Amino acid sequence: METISNVVIPFLIFFPMLGSVIGYVIGKKNKKARDVFAMLVTFLVFGASLLLLTGKTEPYQMAGVCGLGLTAMGSGLQMIFAIMTGGIWFLTTIFSREYFSDERNRNRYYLFMLLTEGATMGVFLSMDLFTTLVFFEVMSMTSYVLVVHDETKEALRAGQTYLAVAVLGGLVTLMGLFMLYQKAGTLDMDTLQQSIGMLSDKSEYYGIGVLVLFGFAAKAGLFPLHIWLPNTYTYAPAPASALLSCLLTKTGVFGIMVITAKLFLHDAAWGHFMLLLGMITMLMGAALAVFSVNLKRTLACSSMSQIGFIMVGVAMQGILGEHNALAAAGTLLHFINHSLLKLALFLSAGVVFMNLKALDLNEIKGYGRDKRLLQFAFLMALLGIGGIPLWNGYISKTLLHESIVEYIHILEAAGQSVMLMKTVEYLFLFAGGLTLAYMTKIFVAVCIDQNSNPIPIKRQGPYISKVNACILILCAGILPVFGILPHSLQEPLAAMGRDFLAAHAPEHAVHYFAWVNMKGAVISMIIGMVVYFGFIRTVLMKQDEHGENVYLDLWPKWCNLEERVYRPLLLHVLPFIGAFFARIAATLADGVVSILRMVVFNSDNRKVIPPEDKYFSAYTDMETDKMVYREGFARSLLMIGIGLAIAMLYILI
Amino acid sequence: MGAWITLLPVVFPILAGICLLPVKFQGRKQRERWVLVITILNAIFALYAMYGNEAQSITLFYFGSRLAVELHIDGLSRVFGTMVSILWIPTVIYAFEYMTHEGHEDRFFAFFTMTFGVVLGIAYAANFLTMYLFYEFLTLVTLPLVMHAMDNKARHAGKMYIFYMMFGASLAFIGFVFIFCYGWTMDFVPGGVLDASKIVGKETTLQLVYLVAFFGFGVKAAVFPLYRWLPKASVAPTPVTALLHAVAVVKSGVFAIIRLTYYSFGANFISGTWAQDVILVITAITIVFGSMVALRTPHIKRRFAYSTVSNLSYILFGVALMTPAGLVAALLHMIYHAVLKITLFFTAGTILYKTHREYLYEVEGFGKYMPVTFLALAIAGIGLVGIPPFAGFHSKWALATAAVTTGNAVSYIGVFALIISALLTALYVFYILVRAYFPRNRKYPDGYYDHVEDPNWYMKGPLLVLAAISIVLGLIPGTLLSFLETAIASLV
Repeated sequence: METISNVVIPFLIFFPMLGSVIGYVIGKKNKKARDVFAMLVTFLVFGASLLLLTGKTEPYQMAGVCGLGLTAMGSGLQMIFAIMTGGIWFLTTIFSREYFSDERNRNRYYLFMLLTEGATMGVFLSMDLFTTLVFFEVMSMTSYVLVVHDETKEALRAGQTYLAVAVLGGLVTLMGLFMLYQKAGTLDMDTLQQSIGMLSDKSEYYGIGVLVLFGFAAKAGLFPLHIWLPNTYTYAPAPASALLSCLLTKTGVFGIMVITAKLFLHDAAWGHFMLLLGMITMLMGAALAVFSVNLKRTLACSSMSQIGFIMVGVAMQGILGEHNALAAAGTLLHFINHSLLKLALFLSAGVVFMNLKALDLNEIKGYGRDKRLLQFAFLMALLGIGGIPLWNGYISKTLLHESIVEYIHILEAAGQSVMLMKTVEYLFLFAGGLTLAYMTKIFVAVCIDQNSNPIPIKRQGPYISKVNACILILCAGILPVFGILPHSLQEPLAAMGRDFLAAHAPEHAVHYFAWVNMKGAVISMIIGMVVYFGFIRTVLMKQDEHGENVYLDLWPKWCNLEERVYRPLLLHVLPFIGAFFARIAATLADGVVSILRMVVFNSDNRKVIPPEDKYFSAYTDMETDKMVYREGFARSLLMIGIGLAIAMLYILI
Repeated sequence: MGAWITLLPVVFPILAGICLLPVKFQGRKQRERWVLVITILNAIFALYAMYGNEAQSITLFYFGSRLAVELHIDGLSRVFGTMVSILWIPTVIYAFEYMTHEGHEDRFFAFFTMTFGVVLGIAYAANFLTMYLFYEFLTLVTLPLVMHAMDNKARHAGKMYIFYMMFGASLAFIGFVFIFCYGWTMDFVPGGVLDASKIVGKETTLQLVYLVAFFGFGVKAAVFPLYRWLPKASVAPTPVTALLHAVAVVKSGVFAIIRLTYYSFGANFISGTWAQDVILVITAITIVFGSMVALRTPHIKRRFAYSTVSNLSYILFGVALMTPAGLVAALLHMIYHAVLKITLFFTAGTILYKTHREYLYEVEGFGKYMPVTFLALAIAGIGLVGIPPFAGFHSKWALATAAVTTGNAVSYIGVFALIISALLTALYVFYILVRAYFPRNRKYPDGYYDHVEDPNWYMKGPLLVLAAISIVLGLIPGTLLSFLETAIASLV
């Protein structure tokens, strides 16, 4: 047993990486064996991650590796995330087999998918920020290959943005960590909490905090670094989108949780900053999702919006200070619930795509009319993510909502203005309403709408294999189970992460199904229905001559941060400025040489590059003999002479 | 053996190279056997001289009472000498295959072998005169290598090369004269040799002279604005660009600057003065400038050459911090960059050799057809960007740490330059990788992928070995670091 506890963590991180290479070699010979092998690897990793539950695993250290050494551990929050990674990855790998059955480059996909699993494990298990970053970078690089798997123009473009944001973000974070290391002398999460987290005045760390945040926020898709997210999710293959949404993006959230809980523990100013970012992300993602007419883009924007919800929880942890039990639990649970929801949703979208090779709502509408399973999956996810009581999303959203309400009570008790927080509360409920509205939109489109000329189905046989049907039932069926049993399933999870987030146990049990807590959900539902019937059905849809619904893409094209600001800035403006200055700098040096030529050598400077020349190193079309003398070796000697003369003169004087 | 073993690795390849000059080899196999034996033997001699032997000095000639040509091995010699000796062997093996398409191999390998000895001469030089002598000799012996192709472009590059080098040497000579006048010895002594009684009141002049000499040696280290020869010289055959213009020649410039700074003028004399600020600013400018231009250069080899310009200034920046930590970081980056850049040039050379493509936009989609080559390029490239856990990350971290701990306000400019340059490096490296692995078009005209395949083991072997070395160095920098710390222990 002793030995097992010591190898679990390195096994989780390095076994998938090793397996990826072995799988690649196997895949060269036998594709079927490779698929099975990949499933076996992910299954073993999942099994190993469950071993963490025994609580006997010891922190793992690799001193000196990469200079600062790597450390990892598997308890509390890290354990939950590791098990989640193991489970979701295993399910996705099984699902991948059918999804990719007629795709190219599968070997490459499996290689990088397993590499990414190891790196993701590394991020989630890390005990110090340096380890987090090392695996974070590896993960960014390897997941790029998953994103561009289809190699279509759109996928390549999306991948380009993904890679650029990941690399820039990673380097900025690295700079932040460097500065943090200089100031604090350590990057170990617990030590940081002890040293900086306990400081009363953290003002000198805000700048560093923002730098460290940059890369993680970019990965999490926080405004204004969300630009990569919608396109990447849309054009990546569905299993990769599922992994991106459920886990890879969450590594960014994990990083932000670390900063908030370790560096800016109970810091209200940081909390307000995060609240601002979180609110914008939440509302903007929801608005984009309402306008989207592409199934996966809707889900992508929804992910962004839900990350915003999680960020509100993170922010409330800072703002509430010591009383952040609800916020901490809400953050963690929404993190988990969102992963479960998006797994079901992206796998369902994958089923649609592998049959139709299309994602536009107008093309796929009505596809699920006669498919009970798909309807079940979409419906469960709709109710879950919409925050309907008895489904899992409701629990975490209620906790987040309660934490805002709690702060309002605190402010009221202290006699301060509650205007701002009231606004926050209503915007929060409004975003919840939008969630319901866009989910209803895609549910209606896929499962209810009529389609008189459906596009042909691109594959033979049943629309989903038995194995994948089971996976889909499992993913969707678990959602209400989590929602019905919050006290026995969700609260223990929240308790496990409490230590890491430095939260206390809640002062009283939360009665999720009491009216006072249901009120928020009901308000959201009403808003959602108003938006759906009053805006989506009237403005964003029209009826064609057959009386069928047509979805309109009304999001203004010019309103695109990536195309309007980032790309021109990075690809044209900055390189131009840089090249301009570089050219000037180079010209300065050249200018000196030219002037010297004219003055010292009395050259007429009519040098050209002739097609050929008879004499070594003659570069002019003028009298060659003379130029050989003037431009050749003699000139070097002359230069040495000048150097010597100056030196000697100086010594003499 | 005694002191003669110190002399052997310097003289043996020079003599062997001279003997090779008139020889007309019967075939490729014969030449390979001879050159390889000489190279490996000499690498063994060099390593034995550095590690198997108590460091002994050997004096060859005297010029009057104070000037002598003398060889002596100390810690710094070991760092430079070991790096060069180890990297020389894979380069020669690579060159056997590569040079078949350039021709005139007999001449090439004769000069290439001589260069080995000359570079070791710089490494082992015990005093300023000896170093200066070998430094000049290096210019001359590498000139035929640069102009190897003997077409217009090569001759133009060669001319430029020799102009710049001579100019640099003349500036460095000024430094030489002043050390002669104001130092108590010409030997390299840790902490400097300036005679305190003589320099009173002449500090500013001496600082100016230091600056002049810095730029003089800086020509080989391609410091702005004297960098132009380096991109031009990338017309030379790839083994030359890879080993000489990424490792041996340019780094002997760096090495000479380290000697000048820490062993002649003394870090304490320069530290905190305006001369140091000037160097810090100039290196910071070069760092950003090199990366910037690299980003705008579509020619693969020239792109890497500009990248070298930038990276050499990383090293010089570390040197200019004038602290032991800065010097260790600089040496660390010197070694990382040597391994990484030699790999990158080899891959560029491999592409050129197999497909005759030189520009970025001509290599789209090659990743699939040349898997080993592009794997090496990816590993070395990502290392160059400095993304952990690959090599190159740690040295940049060390450089930044050293810069911040000096507390000098100017050195923060350098840290800022490091970061900007890291971003630019990421852009210019990933651009190649993305294009090579994910072509923009689905179909290319017929013949586009003809001959696009991995080379034979002469080339693949060195590529894989070097890439593996870079990974190991990146993962476990501890051993290397302690080796460097012992090497400069006398300075602390």
